[in-house]
Amino acid sequence: MSEWEPKIVSFLCNWCSYGAADLAGVSRMEYPSNIRVIRIPCTGRMSPKFALAALREGADGVWVSG
Amino acid sequence: MNLMEHMGIESDRIHFSWISSAESTKFVKVVKEVTEKVKALGPQQHFKKNDAKVA
Amino acid sequence: MLDYIDKIKEISERLLKDCSVEMVIGFRKGTLPMMNEPCFARTPEDVGQFVWDSNCGINLANYLTDRKERIGIVAKGCDTRNIATHIIENKISREQLVVIGVPCKGMIDKHKIATLFADEIQTVTENGEKILVTAGGKETPLNKSDVLQKNCAVCTHRNPVFYDELAAEKVEEQQDVDRYADVQEIEAMDTQEKWDYFESLLSPCIRCYACKNACPLCYCPTCFVDEAKPQWVGKGQDPTDVRTFHFLRAFHCAGRCTDCGACERACPVGINMRVFTKKLEKDCFEQFGWEAGMSLDERPPLDTYRPNDPNDFIK
Repeated sequence: MSEWEPKIVSFLCNWCSYGAADLAGVSRMEYPSNIRVIRIPCTGRMSPKFALAALREGADGVWVSG
Repeated sequence: MNLMEHMGIESDRIHFSWISSAESTKFVKVVKEVTEKVKALGPQQHFKKNDAKVA
Repeated sequence: MLDYIDKIKEISERLLKDCSVEMVIGFRKGTLPMMNEPCFARTPEDVGQFVWDSNCGINLANYLTDRKERIGIVAKGCDTRNIATHIIENKISREQLVVIGVPCKGMIDKHKIATLFADEIQTVTENGEKILVTAGGKETPLNKSDVLQKNCAVCTHRNPVFYDELAAEKVEEQQDVDRYADVQEIEAMDTQEKWDYFESLLSPCIRCYACKNACPLCYCPTCFVDEAKPQWVGKGQDPTDVRTFHFLRAFHCAGRCTDCGACERACPVGINMRVFTKKLEKDCFEQFGWEAGMSLDERPPLDTYRPNDPNDFIK
């Protein structure tokens, strides 16, 4: 069996980190594929419910980025 | 998320960052960092709801 | 404390007679010992039912949400702080209220007293600092200071923060209490111990939601526990669901909780869910220098931005 890889649910702000992710992609930068991105309209949309829901569904980590 | 930590979820599972849309290098750096930290903790078992989900 | 009753009655009667309020909310004797219940007096005659003793732990601010009429309300220190929170959150206006402030010396812990006796408790009476409990035909005197509610024992705001009438002389505030001893105890544990501590704490929970019904802060038209699409928290007694409920409930009280102890008092199985809200209260105090409900003019910390807000947790 291959090495265990964590699943990290990432909540990215459309205007900031989501843009950064886009730019990273366009620039063909390499980064780990463990993150599962959820785009939110603004970090203000974030709620503790989301973080808990992610963990309940089995996420290993949660990352919120504005 | 002090309360998360308070009730027994490792603080390294929850991350916050601030990255501008021009900072792709910082984005890559933070992704690596977050992944490393979560990986070091191993699978998350505590909060996972284990029973079968109804579709 | 018993001597407050006449003064409370006198003020309430006067307010109702001169029609400055349509209703006075106070306490009357409950059907069981140590269970005083809210009483809504609409006529001067109703006022006769009012009582005041060490069993008035229910937070009456809970009954003010979205009321339209003019109301007189009997309020302890913590009640006035919750009324202030209600006013800040536009759930009632200051002009509608006549606050009858009652300096408080702490309420007694009915869970604790119940565990001290094997037999059913028939009567509980008090005389100054002594509590007299009759159980199984035997009388036992207790010191009130030994059976105070946990939050009352560490309370530093016993006097009403604001009031229109005062039912008695202000009492001395407790000075040298360690308010956060219980929180610090948990903070000292490691992650696994913390998890296990909360697991055993919450295991008796039957999800009756008495804590959220007793809480003056919980007034959302639809609570997150009732939402079905998406369903944030399952309805059963799965430990994950129970914990999600308590955790989110506490989070909704962040920066608003006055540690009035109504939740713990209401719990039928005696869970001390204050360990969740207390932690947030401590954080608010340490990080923002904030104590909920102390002023009518200041906005709560989660509502405002200040350049020196702590942000070390952001990368």
